[in-house]
Amino acid sequence: MYGWIWRHLPGNAWVKALLSLLLALALVYVLFQYVFPWAEPLLPFNDVTVDNQ
Amino acid sequence: MLGLFVVYSLWWTNVIADRAAGRQADKVRHQWAQEGGDDTPAAFDARNGIGFLHVPAMDDGDVLVEKGTSSKVLNDGVAGYYTDPVEATLPMTGKEGNFSLAAHRDGHGAKFHNIDKLSKGDPIVFETKDKWYVYKVYAVLPETSKFNVDVLARIPQESGKKKAGHYITLTTCTPVYTSRYRYVVWGELVRVDPVDGDRTPPRELGG
Repeated sequence: MYGWIWRHLPGNAWVKALLSLLLALALVYVLFQYVFPWAEPLLPFNDVTVDNQ
Repeated sequence: MLGLFVVYSLWWTNVIADRAAGRQADKVRHQWAQEGGDDTPAAFDARNGIGFLHVPAMDDGDVLVEKGTSSKVLNDGVAGYYTDPVEATLPMTGKEGNFSLAAHRDGHGAKFHNIDKLSKGDPIVFETKDKWYVYKVYAVLPETSKFNVDVLARIPQESGKKKAGHYITLTTCTPVYTSRYRYVVWGELVRVDPVDGDRTPPRELGG
């Protein structure tokens, strides 16, 4: 997968490296901002209350 | 991916939560300051928080207390008082009952992370606009089922109490990084001090 991305990025090695970095940052942003907040309540790591459910 | 999720839950949620809690705490402090030191009763705005919890043994400063224990409330890095399944009795009412609170153990501010550092005799101080409510820990339940709602009872029998009194209950999850069980700490009111003009903390907080 990474090889495929690398081959399809334009420019020389430096531009490719920069673009890869940007892609990685964008991915982290999407994960932190949207994916993880959505996934977290579905995972049993953060229930702190006692209840009847 | 998994590593990122760990970074997210243990670090990033704390950043976000502390920011939110700081903002809300500032709002409450500001409002108290504006209302001044006269005898008008504290404005009861549960949405902004009702006061601050100080637990020297947990060493995490003042924890804002807000209404409710949903993750929406607790994820802002605050402690919430129970409205369900057993409603907390707020200390300001002066009524006998149980002031039951919950907060995160890890992530989202992790306000009760060091709950295991609390032992019998340690002070828990709740600060409102005009009063310091000084509690002392008298019982600890290091592990219980998450269905054990009796710990929130008006008279928490499991802590060894038989008579009504002014109790405080802290709940969070245990062991750390999981939510398999609940950790419970009970305290009892020893004293109520008025807040003076300089908001000098009671001696339990080094004041």
